Amino acid sequence: MSYKIPCSHCHLEFDPSLMIKDEKLHFCCKGCQGVYHLLQDKGFESFYEKSKSSTLAPPTQITEGSSSFDSQSFYDKFVKTNDKGFSQVSLIIEGIHCSACVWLNEKALNKMDGVIEANINFTNNKATIVWADDIVKLSKIIDMIRAIGYDAFAYDAMTQEHHVNKERKSYYLKMAVAIFASMNIMWIAVAQYAGYFSGIAQDVKTILNIAEWILSTPVLFYSGWVFFRGAYYGLKEKVVNMDLLVATGALFTYIYSIYITIMQHGEAYFDSVSMIITFVLIGKFLEVLSKKSAADALDVITRNIPNEVKIIREGIIAQCKLDDVKVGDSVVVSSGEKILFDGEIIKGSGSFDESNLTGESSPVYKSVGMSVVSGTTSIDADIYFMATRDFKHSTLSNIVTLLESAIHKKPKIQQMANRLSEHFSSLILSLAFVTFLGWWLWPHSFETSFMVAISVIIIACPCALALATPVATLVGLSISASRGILFKEAAGLETMAKIDTLVLDKTGTITIGKPEVVKEHFFKDFDKKLLYSLVKSSKHPIANGVAKYIKEQTKEIEEIIFDEYKQFPAKGIKAKYKNVDFLGGNLKLLQEHGIDMKFTTQETAFYFVIGDEIAAVYELKDKIKDGMPELIASMKQKRIEVVLLSGDHKNITTNIAKEVGIKKFFYEQTPQDKAEYINTLHKEGKKVVMAGDGVNDILALASADIAIAMGSGSDIAVEVGDVVLLDDSLKSLNEAFKISKTTFGLIKQNLLISLVYNALTIPIAMAGYIIPLFAAISMSLSSLLVVGNSMRIRYKWRR
Amino acid sequence: MDSWVIAMMLGASIFLGAAALFAFLWAIKNGQFDDEEKFLNAAKFDGEDELNDAALQEKKREDLEKKYRPE
Repeated sequence: MSYKIPCSHCHLEFDPSLMIKDEKLHFCCKGCQGVYHLLQDKGFESFYEKSKSSTLAPPTQITEGSSSFDSQSFYDKFVKTNDKGFSQVSLIIEGIHCSACVWLNEKALNKMDGVIEANINFTNNKATIVWADDIVKLSKIIDMIRAIGYDAFAYDAMTQEHHVNKERKSYYLKMAVAIFASMNIMWIAVAQYAGYFSGIAQDVKTILNIAEWILSTPVLFYSGWVFFRGAYYGLKEKVVNMDLLVATGALFTYIYSIYITIMQHGEAYFDSVSMIITFVLIGKFLEVLSKKSAADALDVITRNIPNEVKIIREGIIAQCKLDDVKVGDSVVVSSGEKILFDGEIIKGSGSFDESNLTGESSPVYKSVGMSVVSGTTSIDADIYFMATRDFKHSTLSNIVTLLESAIHKKPKIQQMANRLSEHFSSLILSLAFVTFLGWWLWPHSFETSFMVAISVIIIACPCALALATPVATLVGLSISASRGILFKEAAGLETMAKIDTLVLDKTGTITIGKPEVVKEHFFKDFDKKLLYSLVKSSKHPIANGVAKYIKEQTKEIEEIIFDEYKQFPAKGIKAKYKNVDFLGGNLKLLQEHGIDMKFTTQETAFYFVIGDEIAAVYELKDKIKDGMPELIASMKQKRIEVVLLSGDHKNITTNIAKEVGIKKFFYEQTPQDKAEYINTLHKEGKKVVMAGDGVNDILALASADIAIAMGSGSDIAVEVGDVVLLDDSLKSLNEAFKISKTTFGLIKQNLLISLVYNALTIPIAMAGYIIPLFAAISMSLSSLLVVGNSMRIRYKWRR
Repeated sequence: MDSWVIAMMLGASIFLGAAALFAFLWAIKNGQFDDEEKFLNAAKFDGEDELNDAALQEKKREDLEKKYRPE
C-alpha cells in the first residue's frame, strides 16, 4: 500500500517517489513548481490560502507562441479601442475552477504596468481587459496568464451576446425605477381612495396629486421609453402594436391627470399610468430574460480552432498562420490533433475520427494517397498531407459560415399573443375614439367626453394580455426543467406545440452511439485481468466497449503492466507479458499474425488471442435506446411524421429504421444534406423538430424550428439546441411534447381570460360608470386571474 | 389642518427613497451584480487588502488616463 501526498500547487495527490522535491515542498510536475515560485516571487502567496484544498489542473506546456496575439489581423478582429483611447479585448480564460483563480488572474493582471482594468466573470470565465497599448503589448498579458497556469482565447464580444446583456441591464434599471415609483404611488393612492369615500380637502388632494405626478414622470418617460420607441417603429411599418396602445393610453392619462391637478378638481389617474407601465414592462422583461444568445454557439467552434499549424517549408517544419497556408503546402499533423485543411496524405497512415462529419464513432483508417477532410481529428496518425484548398475554402470554414447564416436565419413562428395584440390594440383605440365622439356629440363637455374615452383605454389595459404568455411559459419552463428538459427560449414551448414533423439522427439519438458487447464466446480459460488491461489502454471505441463490459461483469479487477505494448491502427493491440504474446483486435490483425479463424458473425467482432490460440470472441453492436419503438408509435398517434437522417450506410440505416418502426429514412447524408432536407420540409410548409447530438447535425439543428440536443452530445450541438434533454433519453422528448401542448393550452386560456374580462368591462367604461378605484382594482384583478390560472396548472403538474 | 406637514413628510420620504434608488441604479450600472458568484464572494472575503488594491488600481487608472494621449 502506497501513501500519497498532495502537490503543493495543484493539490492533486501522487506517490511521493514520483514527485519533484523542493525543500519541504512536493510538486507533481515542472509546471506546478514554476507557477508556485512565480506566485511566491510576485507576492500572491495568499492564493493558496484562498483556494484552500481545492484541486487545480496542473499547468500545461503551451508550445504555441503568444506573438500571434500582436498580429494586425488579430487586432482587427478582436481588439477594440474604447472612448478614452485604450485598447480592450474580450477573452475566455481556461482553467478557472474557483473564486481564488479569478482573484489570482485579476490580481496578476492588475499588477502589470499599463493594464487599466481586468475583470473576470466567474460564472462564464469570460474576461474583459483594458490596457494602454504603448506601455504593454497584449502578448505580454497573455504570457502572464499562461505563466500563472491558465490559458486564454479571444472571442468576439461585440456580437449578439453583448447586445443581449446590455438589453438585460437596461431592463433591470428601468424596472428598478418603475417598481420603486409604483410602490410609493400605491401608498399615496390609498390616501386618495380613502379620501374619495370619506371626503378630503382639495389642497391635501392637490399635494398628493403633485407627489404622484413627480413619481410617475420617470416611470412614463424613462421606464416607459421602450413603449414609445416600439410604437414609433410599429407606426413606421404601419402596424398598430401593443406598444402603441400602452404608450397612448399612459400618455393621455398622464396629460389628463396633470390637467386635473392644475385645475384642482376631479380625479387624477397617475397611479394607473405607473401601474400600466410597470406591469407590461415586467411582462416584457420576462420575455427578454428567456431569450437565448446564438453567439455562444459560434464561440465554441472558433475557440477550438488553433491559430497556427505546422507546415514543411524548404525541408524544415515551421509554424504558420492559418491564412498563410497555400494550396500545395505540406501540413504536419500528429496524433490527437485536428485537421484544419482539406488535403491528400503524402506520408504516414493511421485512423481518423470523422464523427464530426458522418456522426459515426468508428475510426476510419487512411494511408498515403487518400484524402483527409478538415474538421476531422487524427486519433493515432502522424501524417504529412498536401493541402488541396486554403483555409477560407476548406470544408470546416464552409460549415462555420453555413452555421452562422443558419443561426441568423432561424425561422420564427409568430407568437399567438403578438398576432392577437395587433387586432386588440387597434380595436381598443378605435373604441376609445368612438366613445369620445359619441359623448361629445351627445352633447357633453370636452372634458367629460375625454375622461370617458381615457377610462376605456385604462380599463382595457393590456396588463393581463402582456402577462398571459410570459407567465404561462415560465410555468412550462419550470415544469420541464424539473424533468430534465431544458428549454433555452420561452417561445420554444409555443413553437413546439405546433410541430408536425420530427427528424431524428441515428447515432447517439436513436442508438446509444457506443458499441456494446451483445454476445461472448469462450474457447479457453484465461485470467480476465489480462484482457482488461489489454483493452483498457486503448482509446478505440470497440476496446472501450469490451473494457466496459468486463468491468460490469467483474466488479473489482486489477490491472497489470505489460512488458511490451503496441497498437496497430484500425487493427488492434499486441502485447507481451511474462514471455507470452497477447493479441486483441479484428480479423485483419489475426490474419496478419497467421492465426486461423473460422468463427464468423454479422456484428462487429473483437478477438482475443493468447499465444497462438483463440481465447475469446466478443460480438459488439450499437444498441437502440430503451423505449425507442414506443416513442415512434406515440408520435404517430399524435400525427407527427418521423424521419430518420443518417450519415451511415444503407444496410445499417435500413435495419435500424425497421427495428424502431420508422418508414421514411435517408442514408449517407452529409451535414449539408441534412440541413438541405430540413429546408425542403420548410418549403412544404412543415414545422420541424430536429433531434441530434453530433457535430455533424449542427447545421440541420440550426435550420430546424426547434432543435433538440442530447445533454451528453457535443458542446456545439448543446449550444445550438433550443431544447436540451439532460438524461439523453427520448422518453423525455415525449414529455417535452406533452408539456409544450399543455403550456400552449394555458396560453390560450390566459388570453381568453383577459379578452373576456375586457369584453365585460369595456362597455361599463364606455357608458361612463368607471370610478378611479374601480379602474385600479380591475387592472390588478385581471392580472391576478391570469397569474392564478397559470399557478393552477403548475400545481396540477406537480402532483 | 396644516397641509404643509403632509407635503414636507411626503417630500422627505420620497427624497430618502430616491437616494437609495439612485445608489442601487449606480451599483447596477457599475456592474456590481453582473457576476453573482463574485458579488457574494466579495461580501464574504474582501478585507482591507482588497480595498487598498482597488484604491491603488483606481489611482493607476487615473494617472494613465492623464498621461495617455493616443494620436
